[in-house]
Amino acid sequence: MELAREAGFARKKKRIKAEKGAMDLTFLVLVMSLLAIGLIMLFSASYAYAYYHDGDSFYYIKRQLVFAIVGVVAMLIVSRIDYHILHRFALLLFGVTIFLLVTVLFFHTRGDAKRWIPLPGGMTFQPSEVAKFTIVVVFAHLISINYNKMKNPRYGLYPFLIILGATALLMIAEPHLSGTILILAIGFVMMFVGGTNVRWFVLGVTALAVMVIILAFVPGVVDYAKSRLVYWINPWDDAQGKGFQTIQSLYAIGSGGLMGVGIGNSRQKHLYLPEPQNDFIFAVVCEELGFVGAAIIILIFVLLIWRGYVIAMRCRDRFGSMLAVGLTTQVGVQTILNIMVVSNTIPNTGISLPFFSYGGTALCMLLAQMGFVLAVSRQAAVEKE
Amino acid sequence: MVIVLVAMVVLGFCVILHQLFRIQIVQGAEYQEYALNQQLRSTRIGAQRGAIYDTNGKTLAKSATVWSVCIAPANIKDNADRQAAVSDILVQTLGLERDFVQGKLERTNSLYEVVKTRVEKPQADELMEKVIDNGLSGAIFLEEDTRRYYPYENFASTVLGFVNAENRGAYGLESYYDKVLSGTPGRTVSLRDSKGVTMPMQYEQTEPAKDGNSLVLTIDEKIQHYLEKNLEMGVAEHKVGNRAVGIVMDPKTGAVLAMSTKPDFDPNNPNEIYDPNVKAELEELNTAENQEQYQQALWEAQNAQWRNKAISDPYEPGSVFKIVTASGALESGVIDETSTFYCQGWVEVAGKARYCWVWNSQHQGHGQQNIADAIKNSCNPAFIDIGQRMGAQLFSQYFSNFGLTEPTGIDLPGEAGSIYYTANQMGIAELSSAAFGQTFKVTPIQMITAACAAINGGQLMQPYVVKQIIDPDGNVVSNTTPQVKRQVISEDISEQIRGYLELVVQEGSGKSAQIPGYRVGGKTGTSEKMERLENGEWNDKNILSFFGFAPVDDPQVACLVMLDEPDIYNAYGSTIAAPIVGSILADVLPYMGIEPQFTEEELEAVATQTPLVLDKDIHEAESILRIAGLKSRILGNGTKVLKQVPGYMEPIPKDSTVVLYTEEEAEGGTVLVPDVVGMNGAQANQAIINAGLNISITGTGIEGSYSIVKSQTPQAGTEVESGTVITVEFTDSTLGG
Repeated sequence: MELAREAGFARKKKRIKAEKGAMDLTFLVLVMSLLAIGLIMLFSASYAYAYYHDGDSFYYIKRQLVFAIVGVVAMLIVSRIDYHILHRFALLLFGVTIFLLVTVLFFHTRGDAKRWIPLPGGMTFQPSEVAKFTIVVVFAHLISINYNKMKNPRYGLYPFLIILGATALLMIAEPHLSGTILILAIGFVMMFVGGTNVRWFVLGVTALAVMVIILAFVPGVVDYAKSRLVYWINPWDDAQGKGFQTIQSLYAIGSGGLMGVGIGNSRQKHLYLPEPQNDFIFAVVCEELGFVGAAIIILIFVLLIWRGYVIAMRCRDRFGSMLAVGLTTQVGVQTILNIMVVSNTIPNTGISLPFFSYGGTALCMLLAQMGFVLAVSRQAAVEKE
Repeated sequence: MVIVLVAMVVLGFCVILHQLFRIQIVQGAEYQEYALNQQLRSTRIGAQRGAIYDTNGKTLAKSATVWSVCIAPANIKDNADRQAAVSDILVQTLGLERDFVQGKLERTNSLYEVVKTRVEKPQADELMEKVIDNGLSGAIFLEEDTRRYYPYENFASTVLGFVNAENRGAYGLESYYDKVLSGTPGRTVSLRDSKGVTMPMQYEQTEPAKDGNSLVLTIDEKIQHYLEKNLEMGVAEHKVGNRAVGIVMDPKTGAVLAMSTKPDFDPNNPNEIYDPNVKAELEELNTAENQEQYQQALWEAQNAQWRNKAISDPYEPGSVFKIVTASGALESGVIDETSTFYCQGWVEVAGKARYCWVWNSQHQGHGQQNIADAIKNSCNPAFIDIGQRMGAQLFSQYFSNFGLTEPTGIDLPGEAGSIYYTANQMGIAELSSAAFGQTFKVTPIQMITAACAAINGGQLMQPYVVKQIIDPDGNVVSNTTPQVKRQVISEDISEQIRGYLELVVQEGSGKSAQIPGYRVGGKTGTSEKMERLENGEWNDKNILSFFGFAPVDDPQVACLVMLDEPDIYNAYGSTIAAPIVGSILADVLPYMGIEPQFTEEELEAVATQTPLVLDKDIHEAESILRIAGLKSRILGNGTKVLKQVPGYMEPIPKDSTVVLYTEEEAEGGTVLVPDVVGMNGAQANQAIINAGLNISITGTGIEGSYSIVKSQTPQAGTEVESGTVITVEFTDSTLGG
């Protein structure tokens, strides 16, 4: 910290437009810690499943490790580039994202969801991952150029709702409910921080409530909602079916107790908990490391988010600030939603845990985005102090 | 704005921390229990059942490891390929019915279905090889178990008993000593993944199985074999209708050396019916409409063949019981050796005439007798007199002292008690009959134990079958020490009784139990059943028995044989049970290392004439030849002697072998006469005996070592019947002949 400040101070004296401060080491350390813990836990969580399904205990960790290295390199490179170039690419990025979100609807890769675009070599690509980043960049761009007019709905509300609405609709069409929720959450947070009038949020929440009440009177909707929610409220109603994953997750978390069964010793990962390397990896973490371990990991996430917001506040320009807010919020919301699902606080919806869950592109994207936060950190408004 | 945002994020994390705390700390134990419930699989480790050994360590029953094949349908419920593979493997390897396997596979909630038990190692290995090759180890698995083997098949089976499908003792010693033999099964609790495969981690708790202890019996395989061989033959000879019992006991300790009920069964497969007649009757009944009746009859037949009559069936002992009456009367001083009893052929008791058995044939009585005569003659009027002189109280007291009012407490299951009149219930008529062994019933084991007390010096012993319990490592857990229940009569009286019983065998009704070279004592017994059958008819069949022991001066072995309902017109125990006991003792005594001691008279009779044994039952023929100082060899599988070689009255040297043909064309019936001319005495004797022939010597200088055979008849190379006497003429080679 001191070093960073001094370095920034020293450069400021040399060049007035000195933008290249040192990156925020605290943030970097927190990112690398989460990545390291995440990789270890991924290996632990995945090896039994990998052995049974692929005959190779290292199947997932090998791939994740490659992407992690690629991702870290990408992060360090991104941290050195001037993020302001994103201003120029914002609308192009939005166009490409919309194109991809439309394209993906023509591919049936897995099950009945159309979320992945197949790539050569058996790999797949998930446009929703890009969409999250796009929303952050586009919103940051719009907020920074319309900063003074944000209270005016023409500038501070409608464009955002149109962009968010279009993206969300396309994602619901896939359908990708969890991704939609995530994008809406990120969007609303950025609007809120960016200066959109608070009454619109009040209005929005009220409208939502009215809509829910109206929907409740439409025949069939309540039953449908009930049928979706019943396994959330009592997963034991269908212990072998829809409630299975939730139950197995609760068994894993509960088995951990205060101190956990020890790293590597999860029993629930042995083919009880479905796909323990993906969305439910945190259940294995809880089982192996206990409440104490889980709380420490959550604390690191909290510190990361706190640091992300600190970086945003210290940034001298509004674009960088909003970029950091958006990207940090994304990590925060995704983490909270994931752990809420795993602990059955909210109904089960597919949402992965940043730095932990298996998924190459997602990890690369995440680390690159952390690179942007680091790039923003170099613009720390040191003169404030 | 940012503060609101941070507050929301912190709130979010607080919610999840609270939720985690609730799941992990508050309800942690509960969830952990649920989780362990699905993760832990407890597997039973069968304890090896202990073995049963005879007194010399020969294995009579042992257990070997076998496997139960189980499947876990729940692990493959949605996988038709795997289901088909499981079905194929089970059908091919174990020969199961496809429908049966399919039925088990449809229980898709089950993780444990047994499809076959008692699979032996080669088959189990073959199965598991296929299972591993096909990657089905989560679907098909083995559980270890044990199976019981009885290497001697239907040997001592009513004593050994057998185990049921769960490997628990169901009958006999297996049942009585089940706790000792079965040990304690262990458990392995291990973590399994959801496919039932053990997790690769160190969580495994094994409570090892404690193998069962083994029994060492007092029963001697050889003695048991002699008993069973003779008993089986006796059953065949006399078409015994309701099985025969034999017990061989060490009279000094009460140790049972052999015990058998014939016919019996093979404990390796106890449910099969082994009596061919009963089996044929059952087969006739086994029709579709008679199933209920058939099952009932089958069950009854099985129970009948498993039943150990030696301990479970009380019978009227008849005259064998006179040993007890005489012992009691002498011991109490009611009579002594000078007392006299007069038999006029019948005696009036309570206004009714009771006839002595001798009246039937001779229409006269035994006349004036002392106690020795009364026992030798088995005279009923004499014993009625003795009983009446004792009175009901004294009689009942000795009846009780000899252990006849309660089960002996032998270490076998299902021992029956006796049926008898108490002193108060006993009138003069009952007392008079009881004195010669009727109007009450005791079990064979009670009878032999009481008789042994009368001859062993007066001690009533506790009979027992297990002499030692050893643990799986061969260490002795416990020893049975012979236990004296009480002194019933004095040494002197016992010695007297032995003398009287020797007379029975020497001169009385037990003659056919004589064994040259041994002093045998014994007593015959006959009783008419005289009981009302279910169909209302009288059962007037007999129970014939004989109690024998040897040597008289120092009894080493006692034997009781009882034939229940032999088919014979003049069925007195003396004629059929005594020679069976004689044959058993003749086998057992040399085996026990008791050397024959011939009297001078016996030794002097060098040559003899072959007695007539044609048309006799084998046991009787053997007995006659034995008493004449001859051996016998049986050819064929019949029960009557159809031809004897040498024939009646042919001169033959002592100790020669008479060949008894029980079939006209028995295998080994003819032999070629060897050439013995020029051989010396020993060589010639050897060659002729080896050929299955007998030798008769004439000529001079037989004693001298220089004697050689001068001539022989028949000539060498002649085909003659086995047992033919070859006459050889010796000449002294030194005399220049």
